[in-house]
Amino acid sequence: MDASTIGMIAFAAVLILLALRVPIAFTLGAVATIATFFIFAFRTGTFMPERAVRATTSMVFSNSFDLIHSYDLSMIPLFVALGHIAYRADITTKIYHAAKVWLTRLPGGVAMASVMGCGGFSAITGSSIACASTMGKICTPEMLRMGYDPRLATASVAAGGTLGSLIPPSVLFIIYGIFTETSISSLFLAGVLPGLLTLAGFILVIAVWVWRDPAIAPSTDQRFTAGERWRAALDSWPAVLLFVLIIGGIYGGIFTATEAAAVCVVSATLIGFAQGKLTLGGLWDAVKETCVQTSAIFLIAAAAKIFVAFVALTGVAGTIVGFVADAQLSLVVLMICIAAIYLLLGMFLDPIGIMVLTLPLMIPLVESYDLNLIWFGVVVIKLLEIGLITPPVGLNVFVIANVVGKEAPIDKIFAGITRFLSVDILVLILIMSFPMISLLIPMAAR
Amino acid sequence: MLVNLEKILLGLGALAVIGLGVLITSNVMARALFASQVPDSVTMVRELMVAAILLPLAAATAARAHVSVAFVSDRFPARLRSWLIVAGSVIGMVALAPLIWAGARELIGVVEKGSFFYGDLNLPKWPGRLLFLLGICATFARLAELTWRDSRTILAGGTVSDEQQHAGDLLSESEVR
Repeated sequence: MDASTIGMIAFAAVLILLALRVPIAFTLGAVATIATFFIFAFRTGTFMPERAVRATTSMVFSNSFDLIHSYDLSMIPLFVALGHIAYRADITTKIYHAAKVWLTRLPGGVAMASVMGCGGFSAITGSSIACASTMGKICTPEMLRMGYDPRLATASVAAGGTLGSLIPPSVLFIIYGIFTETSISSLFLAGVLPGLLTLAGFILVIAVWVWRDPAIAPSTDQRFTAGERWRAALDSWPAVLLFVLIIGGIYGGIFTATEAAAVCVVSATLIGFAQGKLTLGGLWDAVKETCVQTSAIFLIAAAAKIFVAFVALTGVAGTIVGFVADAQLSLVVLMICIAAIYLLLGMFLDPIGIMVLTLPLMIPLVESYDLNLIWFGVVVIKLLEIGLITPPVGLNVFVIANVVGKEAPIDKIFAGITRFLSVDILVLILIMSFPMISLLIPMAAR
Repeated sequence: MLVNLEKILLGLGALAVIGLGVLITSNVMARALFASQVPDSVTMVRELMVAAILLPLAAATAARAHVSVAFVSDRFPARLRSWLIVAGSVIGMVALAPLIWAGARELIGVVEKGSFFYGDLNLPKWPGRLLFLLGICATFARLAELTWRDSRTILAGGTVSDEQQHAGDLLSESEVR
């Protein structure tokens, strides 16, 4: 049996096991290990299992251990910890409060504040689902209580939550950086403008939606004095400081992304203690939650690393690149095909799973077209972001549905999401058509 | 016993995360203030990473925190879905078994050779390998326990769910039994 046949069988096995609810990490790890064993065992043409055992286990161990035994990747647990600590220290909620105080008098102001709160939360945490789940608990019930239409109250937070993938720091960018060996700092900087563009687009959607149908967002009698507004803005300084530390530090060349993560974790902890918002118990819980979350992320990444090594052995990626080269696809057609694949997968799979499954095949293809991997990273993350809110499996939509319960059934949330999706598609087209939107800041930082 | 071990490993993992933050920040401050750096900080961070990621893995497995695709299987009857969850644990053991074998071989190798990292402190290589093996073995044990427990539940007429437990509620005796 030749390597490419084993490769094809392994890909089919992965798809079947994933469909059968086997965890992504276990699927990739088991299939890659067994298939690698068969490749080594059949290397001489006859089946020789004894010589394959040592080679397979060495490959499996070195790929997984080297991934975890990494200095640069320590930014993943640190950024995840930052999100948990900032939430417990009340840092993230203050951004929403400040935005709400300033925008509450505008039609749909609380929904706009929710989206801005999501943007602020994303600038500290880096996880879309964490963002949707946390902001969903804070913003959506408040909007429903104020008489906002459930479609607007839920969809604005579900869509706003997706900003966590694009606005740095983003765990998805870090994982993309690992698998494509591109600079994670550059990826972070590349995500800033597309993230802000998406944020502005979402606010515009709310403004137009409420302007055309004022009944969906009743105005409130709540009034804030100028003093209250400024106090609320000043109260959100810790969030601003952390964002400036991350982006300013990386942009100014003061820190690496890993150092920025560590400095922000220590800063958020000290601010939380100094303001009396964070207790030792809260810190301990935050770090334990971080451990559980990052273990699961890293197990997928380690299994994917083994899978990538296996794919390299099979030569399947080269076959696909050759096939596409023979087809002589234009760049536009290629990008449309890639976008269609990611959007389709995004309807059923979670973002990390999609990335680790597709990147081993996509990256050689993209490199054969001489495309910029930083720009391609932003496109991929934007596509994955869209997948988080597309039916039938929009993870963020389900997160919000869990938070609000019976007050807003899934179909209502998806009904509201369509408006935000249209903006997402528009931003995606802009990012794909004008790579400078992504590359401007990383190029300026060099 | 497994629950207590997981609690200890999770606690050690949490300490490792705190250690990462403190160590890297100290290094940044030492560089900024004294134009110096913590000796072998990169090596120490890498070793701490193994502890931070792998020691809590068994606890994450107990909390069923591993990501899976439920879209297709949600359409299956609850009993079949339960058996698929058991199958997932068995496949997990298949994936981890070669890592245990290779990890043990690697650990024995570095201990026998007395391998160390080149640097100011010449730190030994065995702690990271030991932590790796410990984390994977504990996860394997938890998967075996889940397979046994879930199979018994299903055979007794019940069903099992892989919905994530919140880490805050993690590892209470009543949940893990």
